[in-house]
Amino acid sequence: MPRWDVHCRVIDNHGDLGVSLRLARELARRGHRVRLLCDRAADLAWMSPGETPGLSLAGFDGGEEVPDVVVEAFGCSLAPGRIRRIAEAGRAGRRVCWVNLEYLSAESYVERSHGLPSPVHGGQAQGIRRWFFFPGFTPATGGLLRESGLLAAREGFDRAAWLAGAGVSWRGERVVSLFCYEPPALAELLGALQAEPTLLLVAAGRGARALRALAGIPEAAIAARRGSLQMHFLPHGDQDRFDRMLWCGDFNFVRGEDSLVRALWAGSGLAWQAYPQEDGAHAAKIEAFLDWLDAPPGLRRLHAAWNGLPGARFCWPDLEECARAVRAARSRALAQEDLVTRLERFVAENG
Amino acid sequence: MKTAQEIRAGNVVMHGKDPMIVLRTEYNRGGRNAATVRLKLRGLLSNTGTEVVFRADDKVDQISLDHKDCTYSYFADPMYVFMDAEYNQYEVESGNMGDALNYLEEGMPVEVVFYEGKAISVELPTSLEREIIWTEPAVKGDTSGKVLKPAKLKTGFEVAVPIFVAQGDRIEIDTRTGEYRRRV
Repeated sequence: MPRWDVHCRVIDNHGDLGVSLRLARELARRGHRVRLLCDRAADLAWMSPGETPGLSLAGFDGGEEVPDVVVEAFGCSLAPGRIRRIAEAGRAGRRVCWVNLEYLSAESYVERSHGLPSPVHGGQAQGIRRWFFFPGFTPATGGLLRESGLLAAREGFDRAAWLAGAGVSWRGERVVSLFCYEPPALAELLGALQAEPTLLLVAAGRGARALRALAGIPEAAIAARRGSLQMHFLPHGDQDRFDRMLWCGDFNFVRGEDSLVRALWAGSGLAWQAYPQEDGAHAAKIEAFLDWLDAPPGLRRLHAAWNGLPGARFCWPDLEECARAVRAARSRALAQEDLVTRLERFVAENG
Repeated sequence: MKTAQEIRAGNVVMHGKDPMIVLRTEYNRGGRNAATVRLKLRGLLSNTGTEVVFRADDKVDQISLDHKDCTYSYFADPMYVFMDAEYNQYEVESGNMGDALNYLEEGMPVEVVFYEGKAISVELPTSLEREIIWTEPAVKGDTSGKVLKPAKLKTGFEVAVPIFVAQGDRIEIDTRTGEYRRRV
């Protein structure tokens, strides 16, 4: 089995690291020897759900050992020493498969760009061929991360037991989860959630801080009530815990790529806050995703407002209609091979 | 060396040891303001085609070639004929015209690109003005320009334009992306 190094940098949030960790863990579960090389390994302490046999951590440079496969996640730019060692290995006759793992999108360019070579021009690595691997939602892309046994775990999940174990008081009301940046429609969401009994599970981070500031909830408060809305602020948790938060949700607000995919697998209605980009480039990504999802009009309107798109007005959608759309899309995704399977085959063919 | 996002159709780049004409460029925004550029290439010597992708700021080995200001004259299958100010004519193979065919009009100014004395491709200016010869009727109301509809040029090339654009309007197009810029 080939040896893999997965390189990742933490930029502003932890989404890149989350995807890289998930990828590395699943590769290791399938029998590969994997190292995860991150510039901020300390962040893995809270994110990683324990040890995975076959997976080890190392500094971003990677040291002297050159693996069979180098995954450069999201254009993180390998350290010069690492590039030099890859080049030296190549000159010595060793084949190292260098894969650039790109950002997820449902836009059509992903199919056209996925799997293409990328020769290095100039520098130490001149002449070496990299490959661009684009995750995506269709068979002609790199697919989506989905670990073995995920759906079985989802089907067997006991929401009441998990909430009780997390110290969350729940009386059977609808559950909504919140993981976001600082959405412009946060106040409108708060108003909509108070319309009927609701438990809001708030993931730690920027969204929680934004909600506390909006609603005047002190930092030390774990829970707060506004009319028939009960809010519970969860602590930082590992990836498995985050999944279970989503599995509790009758509707999930998520942000970035990793949690979007996790919300898809959770199978409830979802609203995705895309990473805001200059010139509004994220609008095309949102539209492409909603097209793939075959989202109903109410869910489209919610996405427009949640992402601050021009002219959008907040409206609360039909949750059951949204859940049906997500489950249908999930079925389409489940009928395809997962990302790690496709990546393994890609490396075998191009390594 | 140029960055990948600076490469244009008509440029010639080295792909391994082979000089290749860039037939088409596709610039795409990924996540977190990053971007990739996909290039469709055709070998100058081998005539084989390939596609590659780069990060937008990756360096690409572009061959410096001779350029000459010319205007488009006519099509003599399979060659497109261009003429300079001294009335010298240069022929470019249709297979090497790439995206230039989307905008071709008699008399349009281009730079003809030469490799070892032979005309091999053309480079377009970064933007051009063209008339819309077909689109659905203009709709007033949305002035943001974000709601789009299809429109066609004389060449048959389709551009997405805002719904307030009407048939007969002249528009400015970014030739690097094929996107509408503004109504002229």
